[in-house]
Amino acid sequence: MLPQRIDQAKPFLTLGLALLAWLLIPTAVKRMTRTGFFELQAPLATTASYVRDLQDFWSLKTRSKNELIEAGRDVARLNAAYESRLQQDAALRSEIERLERILKLPIPAGHRAEPARVVLRDFSSWWQQLVIRKGHNYGIVVGSPVIFAGGVVGRVREVYAYTSVVELISSPGMRIAAVAEGDTRPISYQGAINPTYGPAVGVVEYVPLDVFATPAAPRRLVTSGLGGVFPPNLTIGYMTKVEASSDGLFKSGDVRLDSALSALNEVTVLVPADRPSTR
Amino acid sequence: MKRRVLILAVASLLLALVLGQLNHYLAMWTVHVWCGGLFVAFAALRFGYGAGALASFIAGLLLDAGEPVAFGTQAFLFLAAHAVIFKVRARAPRDATIIGVMAALLANLGLFLALSFLRIDPNLKADQAWLRIFADLLASQVVIALIAPWFFAVQTRLLEATGTNLRDFSRRAF
Repeated sequence: MLPQRIDQAKPFLTLGLALLAWLLIPTAVKRMTRTGFFELQAPLATTASYVRDLQDFWSLKTRSKNELIEAGRDVARLNAAYESRLQQDAALRSEIERLERILKLPIPAGHRAEPARVVLRDFSSWWQQLVIRKGHNYGIVVGSPVIFAGGVVGRVREVYAYTSVVELISSPGMRIAAVAEGDTRPISYQGAINPTYGPAVGVVEYVPLDVFATPAAPRRLVTSGLGGVFPPNLTIGYMTKVEASSDGLFKSGDVRLDSALSALNEVTVLVPADRPSTR
Repeated sequence: MKRRVLILAVASLLLALVLGQLNHYLAMWTVHVWCGGLFVAFAALRFGYGAGALASFIAGLLLDAGEPVAFGTQAFLFLAAHAVIFKVRARAPRDATIIGVMAALLANLGLFLALSFLRIDPNLKADQAWLRIFADLLASQVVIALIAPWFFAVQTRLLEATGTNLRDFSRRAF
């Protein structure tokens, strides 16, 4: 029989031994176990998201015909406006291609837009992420940029068989190379601690001294296109305050992100064009 | 032992699903609940050491799988909380639901703060970070106080339905 003192410490000895054993397990085994545990939970969360969609469908069915007619009319107006924009876009695109050919510039690889429904939103103080309902089955790859109508959502962090995990731009670990609208000098954007009951926020560093922004006159912050992940000119947020940093060489400040970021139901993944869908 | 651990793992899966759905809706208000203490309390109070520790470890791995932490972080935090509760459980009437709720609340407090120290970037504004952490912690403790009796009942019923008598473990130390 073990002495009483050792017997009492048995839970902690076991904990220490388990930790030691865990450190010795190869990373590939841990990786496989992690994927297995995630895939085990994925069908439950996905089913719950389908149930939510069904709830939305039935709640929409209760709307009157007049409301539907009004909504249809609004959509038709928007479609007409977008058609005109598309024609302008096509003309501008052909002009850019002509100039690229003349100047012999390298043509950047395009993206395939893959819309996806949101399965889960996770907005903790430690991280912010989304789980979306598309994964390897739609050719989504790790690092793909994710956008929505209001701009950048984040970047795909993990891809599983039928789902993917997206790290949001508000997450403290997320960094993006950005520029102030109308400027070409790069700024470093980073996610920050998001206040309770408030819109998501971020911070900027290395802002040039001649860039100004106040809450009354915010400055739009867009992706720079540097780094090759995000296409240029996508809205990140609005700089609401910039102040000279302690070294006096640059400014740093706060960024207000789109308030819809924490209530997203659908996003678009920009998959590199050479990645076909297996579906 | 395998069956008991499996049943507790299924219960943990159910709790993770419920909390995931709750957090999905709370995201609109930038509030998050994390109830790690609830995954540990029942196993630590009512089971033998081996089965309880394994069930807590599996629950931690379930949470780790979908979150941006090193795989095993929450599992080992759960294992540590399990060891502490197991060590002190003889000093209280551990079959009582109120003791279970208290154990879950205290374990969650410790685990939440430990995870916060591990995860918070020291370069970010500390005052804002801790304000948010305490808001989330408060919400989490309220949710645990509300759902812990239900979750303990679910675990007890699941074990009874599969022919496990919890009284067998009430006098065992290991």
